[in-house]
Amino acid sequence: MTGDRDIPPPGEFPGDGSGEAPDTVLAAEYALGLMDAAEARAFAARLDAEPALRRLVAEWEEGFAPLADAVPPVAPPARLKSRIEAAIAPAPVLAPRRRSWGWLGGMLAAGAVAVAVLLVLPVRQVTVPPSFTAAIAATDGSLQLAAALSGDRLRVERLAGSAPEGRVLELWLIAEGATAPVSLGVLPEAGVADLTVPAALTAAFAGGVLAVSDEPPGGSPTGAPTGTVLATGAITSL
Amino acid sequence: MDQRLAEIEGLIARVALRDRAAFSALYDRTSAKLFGICLRILNDRAEAEDALQEVYLRIWHRADRYAANGLSPMTWLITVARNLCLDRLRARRAPMDDIDTVPEMADAGPTPEAAAVAAGDRVRIAACLDELPADRADAVRRAYLDGETYQDLAARFGVPLNTMRTWLRRSLLRLRDCLSR
Repeated sequence: MTGDRDIPPPGEFPGDGSGEAPDTVLAAEYALGLMDAAEARAFAARLDAEPALRRLVAEWEEGFAPLADAVPPVAPPARLKSRIEAAIAPAPVLAPRRRSWGWLGGMLAAGAVAVAVLLVLPVRQVTVPPSFTAAIAATDGSLQLAAALSGDRLRVERLAGSAPEGRVLELWLIAEGATAPVSLGVLPEAGVADLTVPAALTAAFAGGVLAVSDEPPGGSPTGAPTGTVLATGAITSL
Repeated sequence: MDQRLAEIEGLIARVALRDRAAFSALYDRTSAKLFGICLRILNDRAEAEDALQEVYLRIWHRADRYAANGLSPMTWLITVARNLCLDRLRARRAPMDDIDTVPEMADAGPTPEAAAVAAGDRVRIAACLDELPADRADAVRRAYLDGETYQDLAARFGVPLNTMRTWLRRSLLRLRDCLSR
């Protein structure tokens, strides 16, 4: 749907309240929470498939949000923050999901250390301009991603396509002259991933290639791609 | 975007990277606002505390999706809080309903352009509600701030459900026209 022409002027609106409403009204009803469970479920299913509808809901959410200014802030009890921080505390062992990077050998003396760093390093700079980019695409265009490395942050945006059913997408760096790819991490289901890349690897971006393979949930169990390489893209230095 | 919003947006970006210090700072800056909203909707302190915990866990786990959803940062946080509290309110009101049948409110993931449209909307909603008949504006506010449904509103205003629905749908169309002027 494209908008205005689907919306009758108020006077022509179906009078009994049971007729089909234009999408913008449904989006408002959904954003307000006026729908009953069945209606909301049906609408949510449409949202998954229709970006234009998601945009309508977002516009309403943005429009309604200032109404919350009328609600006085109330400081929650201090113990609540401790409870929440405890709930997100890191699990004692983070490493098992990651594979050994030792095979990188000569290219990366610091390889083993990099494993943990990739997972948890907090990033201090958020506004460094990108130094490398890559358009990672399948030859038939069915999967397309845009990657940009800024400092040690690699932002990967999925523009088209998704992982095959029951699989995940894993991102690999194939350094210039390297014999094997090195994993940069499993991409989340969300369209945008922000990965932290160890310094030893950012140094290998120049002249390299980024590739995406499909892997079992949790990523390749072997440290090398085990599934199909779905898309590749040469890294461009900016 | 003003400085405070830009700061919150920066904190959300760092939370997406699992930065606990940023999460703590984000909590300090926004929890009173979101707790106020949960209290208003749920009207029960203990439940509002549980809800707020759930809200921040969701923020922690979904901050990576924020960048893609096109909402301004406070709108995203408010929407996460409001949706979770509405889910709880609905589950409480329908104890006979299988809880799995109550759909979780999805956080919209619209295109980035929405953010540009968004900024101008912020100041307009109050003015646009003022253009509606007072009882319709009141109904919209009660839906947003108290989680009232068509059913609740029909009972409150003493009209049949479908009449309420028609009133409000017309009002929403007028509101949309006003907001997009």
